[in-house]
Amino acid sequence: MRQERLHVISGNAFAIGDGQGDIEVDPQAPVGLFFFDTRFLSRWVLTVGGERLNALSRDDLTYFETRFVLVPGAASHYVDADVSVIRHRSLDDSFNERLTVLNHAAEPAYLTVRMEIGADFADIAEVGQPRHREVVVTPDAERGLLRLRYARGRFARETVISSTAPAEIDRSGMTFRIRVEPDGQWNTDLHIAMTFQGEAGRDMRADLTTHRHHIRRGMRDDLQAWLDRAPQLVAEHEALPALYRGSLTDLAALRYEPLSSVDRVPVGGLPWAMSLYGRDSLITCLQTLPFVPELTPATLRLLALLQGGQLDDEHDEEPGKILAELRYGELAAFGDRPTALYYGAADTTPLFVILLDEYERWSGDGELVRQLRHPARMALDWIDEYGDLVGDGYLRYQSRNPRTGTVNQTWKDSAGAIVDRRCRAPALPRATCELQGYAYDAKVRGARLAREFWDDPEYADRLERQAAQLRERFNRDFWLPHRGHYALALGPDGEPVDALSSNIGHLLWSGIVDEGRAGAVAEHLLGPDMFSGWGVRTLAAGQRPYNPVGSHVGAIWPSDNSLIAAGLRRYGYDEQAARITAGILEMAHTLGGAVPEVIAGYPRSLTKYPVQLPSAGRPQSWSSGAVLLLLSTMLGLRPCGDNLLVDPRLPKGFGRIELLDIPGRWGHADAYGRDRVTVSRPRLR
Amino acid sequence: MTASAVEHLRRLGPSRRVELPDAVAGTVRLDMREEGRTEHWYLTIGDQRVQVSRSTDDAELVVRADREIFDQLARGEIHPAEALMRNEVTVQGDIRLFMLLRRIFPGPPDARHPRELTTGTGGGR
Repeated sequence: MRQERLHVISGNAFAIGDGQGDIEVDPQAPVGLFFFDTRFLSRWVLTVGGERLNALSRDDLTYFETRFVLVPGAASHYVDADVSVIRHRSLDDSFNERLTVLNHAAEPAYLTVRMEIGADFADIAEVGQPRHREVVVTPDAERGLLRLRYARGRFARETVISSTAPAEIDRSGMTFRIRVEPDGQWNTDLHIAMTFQGEAGRDMRADLTTHRHHIRRGMRDDLQAWLDRAPQLVAEHEALPALYRGSLTDLAALRYEPLSSVDRVPVGGLPWAMSLYGRDSLITCLQTLPFVPELTPATLRLLALLQGGQLDDEHDEEPGKILAELRYGELAAFGDRPTALYYGAADTTPLFVILLDEYERWSGDGELVRQLRHPARMALDWIDEYGDLVGDGYLRYQSRNPRTGTVNQTWKDSAGAIVDRRCRAPALPRATCELQGYAYDAKVRGARLAREFWDDPEYADRLERQAAQLRERFNRDFWLPHRGHYALALGPDGEPVDALSSNIGHLLWSGIVDEGRAGAVAEHLLGPDMFSGWGVRTLAAGQRPYNPVGSHVGAIWPSDNSLIAAGLRRYGYDEQAARITAGILEMAHTLGGAVPEVIAGYPRSLTKYPVQLPSAGRPQSWSSGAVLLLLSTMLGLRPCGDNLLVDPRLPKGFGRIELLDIPGRWGHADAYGRDRVTVSRPRLR
Repeated sequence: MTASAVEHLRRLGPSRRVELPDAVAGTVRLDMREEGRTEHWYLTIGDQRVQVSRSTDDAELVVRADREIFDQLARGEIHPAEALMRNEVTVQGDIRLFMLLRRIFPGPPDARHPRELTTGTGGGR
């Protein structure tokens, strides 16, 4: 039986434990307390009188705070327990757990409360099989501390556990021998500080009790302010407001402040991507501009700062390239993985330009466009200089790091994702179709920025010429006339990879599709091989590589679907966009909780219930962001000069929707929409 | 003969360096430690130029490391970000200026242009 897993999150710090709040190493899952990709606690097990505890209830107060109510002993006899324990944990820059032991009996209780404590300092990239590390454990009875420290050269990580109540401290935990009065209680605050050794062994961040309390209070206010800044949704649809609020809250949870940024940016998501991923962050920003635009300038500035500056094979870095992944763990620090700054992505660079333009359209923040002229120019230059690998004008990828580089450097980054209908993989370098759409869009948008903000009309003309040529060439070389859709990719010699895939939906989003072909693309996307009823599959059924539980060869991604729906509306396929929107939102509502990154591709009519994949993380920034993009897509929100255009096309049965106080260059504006079917016919649900 | 960090800095010259972002300006002091003494190099970055001098003045970012580490950075043998995470390099002040070192010092000497993979070998794997 699979253990229930519970988490608290604060930026890129997170703790995953079981339903009782205990943490015990599990090679199958990243269980523990993690911060900056390092496991600072791998054992955290509470006993009372030598017995483990059982949960009576649990209250997930916020994403950074959980309260467990527990009783000692096995489930069979805890009903008459006269002792109970409340475990209240919160996470900010440190992990805090308040233990409260309650005595319900008429006699004083003499109890032994023990916390087993251990840290293995594993890198999250290797939690399945962590290497052995010599951890120096120092019980410090005098100061009431347990110190666990791991060092390798100057690299050092340390966990320091302290208790406000007196404790007996040994190498594997803390013991409290307590007396609790009748109807009385006993408390201790356990504080776990996680430190990164910097200059002269000093800690990088302050570790003061006042600071701690300040932050904890601050986080509640911060979440409320975040929700207050976002537009308010009023909807007749029973599920939509909760889904909207949940997605906003998940996005709040997944913001973090990297070492080199003063503002917070989205991480990928729990549990495997709690770090900066260029693609996830860029897509999340694109999805959330009408709602929480503050994520975008922070993300653009950070990615500009981390833009590639040199040729570097190990890191797949080239001048102008936008980051794929950034990690702080030991494997990255010592070069076992290239992830200290990894650039193995061909889509992040054009997406950077696309986001910069889209952000200005919404915000009117021309100043940022001027400030980021140089990185944006370098990004645009990268597309031609380093992205066009065989000189045929298409954006391609091929890793120069055969050991640890990513083979498929697009959003479908699993090794077997790019294959033809018969499961044959093309040679490298590969030009997937959606990369050409992004490159086209980046050039079109770059031209606008050059003309309107960079005072460079000649460059704008050149980009527009290139974009037009790319569009024409693309529609000639990628179109498969006998199949009526675009190829998934071209191999190095221009040979098409003929699989029918969700990538063609991104082409609509980018605007590279010839008007005359958009209908055929829309028909494929909503056909039975691609549309499961919940959403569009990554790869159409009926082809050899199709597998409903294969992440990129049959499963369904909400983020993918949100871009497809936006693309369909761009070309006027409103009814098709509404079907996808309804499917994804119903899936999210049916599953409850945070929107998963991916679900299985089984037909909805077959399984009735959305089938989850064990590997699917949640919350995930771009999955939560998908809910927001689907919402703005159904309302048809679009900046037009200094005004907000609203052109609602709601799915059947969605009733009335009001989105109030949408921020933008217009100040704040409201959008109203109603399901037109509802007024002419009885409600369907 | 491979250059040391000091030789590299001396050779930088006053000309415009197009790879530097034009909207970024700041001061960076490099504190190179060797055998109990520290040599201070002061970089004034602005308008896509790097002006190099010897000074102990305060800077917006102070980068400290053994001279050998700086030499390895100047030869492109180690990545600044990895050195920072290993705590071989420490920084004080505005860490956002740190990434400029990636533009001022060269990358790995054996690095290839991505097109080199596809020409000659015919591409593919």
